[in-house]
Amino acid sequence: MHPFSILTLGIFVAGYITARWDLVTRLYELAIFAWKYGVVTRAAKGFAVLSLVFLLIFLPVERLATREGNLHPRSIGSGISAREQLRRREHDGLMRVFWPADLPRSDLRGVVVGWRNSALDVLVLAILEEVEPRNVEWALKMGTLLRNAPHPVSRIYELCGQSSIHVLGVSNNTPDTFEVDPSWIRVTIGPGRQPPAVTCARASSIQIILFERPHPGRMQYISLNPIELALGDKHDGFKHEVPGGCEDDDEKEERKKKEQKRQLVEKLTQHSIFRRVPSAKEKALAKIVNQVNCAWELEQLLQKNVSRIGTRPKRTLSVSERVVESATTARDMMLVWMWDMFTIYVWPVIKKIFVLGLMAHRVAAEVLLRILEWRAQPRYAALKDISATAQQVEIRLQQFCYWPMQYVTLRLRKNDWESVTTSHPDYIRFYNSLWLVANDVIIGIALGSYIIDNSGWVAEEISQLLSQYTVDALQSSISWLMGWPAGLKLNNELGAFLGDLFLWVIDYWSSCIEALRPVLPHVIWFIGFSSFAGASMPIALFSDLLSILTLHIYSFYLASARIYHWQLNILISLFHLFRGKKHNVLRNRIDSCDYDLDQLLVGTILFTLLFFLLPTVVVFYLNFAIARMAIISLKAVFDTMLSCLNHFPLFALMLRVKDPGRLPGGIRFELRDTQDFRHSVTDTTQQQQQQQQQQLPSTSVIHLKSVPLNFKAMFHQYFQMGHRIRKHYLSPRVLLCLLTGKFVPPLNRKNLYSLQYSMLPARRAGVVEMWNAVNSLPASSSSFIGKDRKRIPILAKGGDAKLPGNYSGGRARGCG
Amino acid sequence: MLTTAPRLYIRRPSPTTAEFTVTTCPPLTLPLRLILLTLHLLRLVLVAAAILTLYSRFLLLPTTTTTTTKQLLPLLLAGDILTFLTTLLQTAHFSPPGLFLTRLVAPIPDWALALLSLGAIYAAVCFQLHKTESVLVLRGLGIQTCSSTSCCAAAVLGSGWGGVGPARGGGPSKWGWGTRTRFIPTEKIRDVLINEAFRGFEVRYYLIVVVEGEEELVVLFPGLLPRRKIVEAVWRGIRGCLFEGEGGEKGDE
Repeated sequence: MHPFSILTLGIFVAGYITARWDLVTRLYELAIFAWKYGVVTRAAKGFAVLSLVFLLIFLPVERLATREGNLHPRSIGSGISAREQLRRREHDGLMRVFWPADLPRSDLRGVVVGWRNSALDVLVLAILEEVEPRNVEWALKMGTLLRNAPHPVSRIYELCGQSSIHVLGVSNNTPDTFEVDPSWIRVTIGPGRQPPAVTCARASSIQIILFERPHPGRMQYISLNPIELALGDKHDGFKHEVPGGCEDDDEKEERKKKEQKRQLVEKLTQHSIFRRVPSAKEKALAKIVNQVNCAWELEQLLQKNVSRIGTRPKRTLSVSERVVESATTARDMMLVWMWDMFTIYVWPVIKKIFVLGLMAHRVAAEVLLRILEWRAQPRYAALKDISATAQQVEIRLQQFCYWPMQYVTLRLRKNDWESVTTSHPDYIRFYNSLWLVANDVIIGIALGSYIIDNSGWVAEEISQLLSQYTVDALQSSISWLMGWPAGLKLNNELGAFLGDLFLWVIDYWSSCIEALRPVLPHVIWFIGFSSFAGASMPIALFSDLLSILTLHIYSFYLASARIYHWQLNILISLFHLFRGKKHNVLRNRIDSCDYDLDQLLVGTILFTLLFFLLPTVVVFYLNFAIARMAIISLKAVFDTMLSCLNHFPLFALMLRVKDPGRLPGGIRFELRDTQDFRHSVTDTTQQQQQQQQQQLPSTSVIHLKSVPLNFKAMFHQYFQMGHRIRKHYLSPRVLLCLLTGKFVPPLNRKNLYSLQYSMLPARRAGVVEMWNAVNSLPASSSSFIGKDRKRIPILAKGGDAKLPGNYSGGRARGCG
Repeated sequence: MLTTAPRLYIRRPSPTTAEFTVTTCPPLTLPLRLILLTLHLLRLVLVAAAILTLYSRFLLLPTTTTTTTKQLLPLLLAGDILTFLTTLLQTAHFSPPGLFLTRLVAPIPDWALALLSLGAIYAAVCFQLHKTESVLVLRGLGIQTCSSTSCCAAAVLGSGWGGVGPARGGGPSKWGWGTRTRFIPTEKIRDVLINEAFRGFEVRYYLIVVVEGEEELVVLFPGLLPRRKIVEAVWRGIRGCLFEGEGGEKGDE
């Protein structure tokens, strides 16, 4: 201490003491007091005891501990600190590594880069060989590794849900080379071993999930949910448009069942006692699927840019190489100039003409569609609901309206990474419908040329069939019923009356058909000619022709069903009278009633009469009902053929055979045995192997595979339609209708045709939207080095969200 | 003897991954393998006999005589499959067993014969001896159910999966024809429960997975419906394996 400051302190203390002399005297009194009462001796005793304890216990223990510590030294790197153990317990120490199975395997040292989804959840993208981890980290931070990307990298980041690519670890490094981050993985790979040996300082057990990277150039991808071949589930939306009155009974029933089920599920959810919060690892699965889809393209990009890291000697070009290079450059420049000329002067003209032609067709299509969809009142049937031909024409026109829109969306796909998979189902749909139409036309040309060549013979055959089955067969069956059919004793008079009535109408009808006979070859010729628009056209026309030419059977069926139904009703009410009861309409129940004697008498007589006349009416009714059913089933066959021609998943089937990776139907995991993988460490020495086995945490090797779409899902729509038809026609209700002579309602056409419309959006784009869409294309199609990059609109499944916002102009398609 | 009551095999390479396989296939011993092989040969013979009967009754022209004996191998090498098949069937028809077969089925009328042989083919091809169903549980990923009906492939591939025991239980033709898998992500699993139901006059306990946003419950081991002991073991295993922080319990059998 400085002498001056000591002096100052001394002066201060002296001054303080003189100023506060009473304090000093108090202290003196305190000391005297303490001495008197033995405080000092007690304090001295305590001090002595404490030092004794220190000398006898603490010092020897400390000595022993250091000696033991020296005997069993604890290395710093290998142990796990208590904090580390605690952290492991929190995250249960499970590390998940997604590893591309087709990654090149080499013995060289490398740096593993990829996505880090959470602390112990990584997806490996690539192994960059012979580079320093620090350099790679720096390059990733600066974005050097992602330079010259064909499309913006931010899109990939957005898709994968991460903000950057990380260095995940090192491969084939001997452990002591340099310090690594504890969260990094150490990988040992080599040409001989398939599952890489992965260790991580933080992980206590490891899942290695090997996956085959889908090739985005071939449009392969994986997805959690099966690919949707049909265009969304918009048909539920259709049902709500229908006013409640004309909803079918079975639909109502279906909805009731659904509601019941929903309530059950609701109850079930209440059974779960607590709701588990999914961890980050569990929530990451959807992102990981996208990352897997992007893995191929990103690896290519990274490997291309590896040479930018660090310094690499570059050889200068030799003279001959330079000559070759300049020659190719000159050729390329020439080509580029010619191409430029073409794109600037010729291409726009061609395109303009094409677009104008397209728009003209579109307008014509719009007019036709409006005619087909026109209905006098909302509840009335439109033309397309009555006739199969109109329906077919409408489907083709709708497809024609939809194609340009589809094409535009598919074109925009080119402006994005190939790994973006949202538009792949659209691609399949577009080419499927194109292919189906092409097929249809090819079959149609063959069919049409045959029909045209043999129109006379075909017409002859058809008219013969018609007269044989719809006239002669009916006539003979009616005259059989007028006698005593199968020994049944019918009422002669009523039978003769009914039979004569029907025979008379048939005679008239056959004369009509006779009048039609000379025109028939022309009609057939026309049908043949129409089949150049596709084989579905003549089928639809034949279906319509069938319903026109069997109009008389339909009317007979209606008439006889009416008579039968009336008679049955009268019989039932007379039976009630017979029992002394009556039907109370107001309360909808059976009441007893006091009839007079004459009422009872007349009613009983009438009941008897009608009851004995019933069999005669029944046989006539059955005859026509069976004929009607035969015609309905024939038309069903035609409809099935039509739906096959219009909707068959031909392209999807072809893809399924050619490249199942393009039709993902979900994912599948496969547990592999780890034993062989552990024993396959043969290239290292024995000691190293032992060490490695000790170090390897418990590892499970899992293969992630894409499940191709199964055939049942491909034909899902067909199954659904079959189910609907079966439910409608083979239900007890229909049988009851048949038995009581009620009119069997035909299946709603909209149900039957939901299959065919499943390839089309619920509302079609208007003319103006199409014009906008088609004109939006040039900017993207002619720019080979993208000028402005548009994002592909995310294709939602519903028809509405599919198109840009100004699509409200399109009218909703009506329903039958 | 050829099948047993459903047995459980557990494969658990790490505490966070487990595969539970329930199968009716007993451990393959040598006599059992021989029996299975014989069974498959029998099946093959049955199909061949049915095809031959159909051919000789309906397709064989009455004019063909036994003299048309051609060399079979050149035909096969030439790639003329149709002629090869016809010749093969003709040769088989005129061989002593073929003639015996023809004599045997002679009194049966046409339609009955056709039905009989088609039924025999169907039964021989679709006959399933063993049934194997498995559940793969991966922590952080989810549950995958897989059911395979190992019909013909079991014995053929049987040699490949030798020492089957509780230590190493794997399915025989695991990814063969007719295997159906379904993967349920953990995020969507609301709960895994054991439920009970009446079936006939007994109570069956079965495992179900309640999937979020789905109307149907997913039943694990739907075809075999193993007994309660197995179901409980699997349930404990799944609980211990699938969810974090609930480890400790171990399903063992």
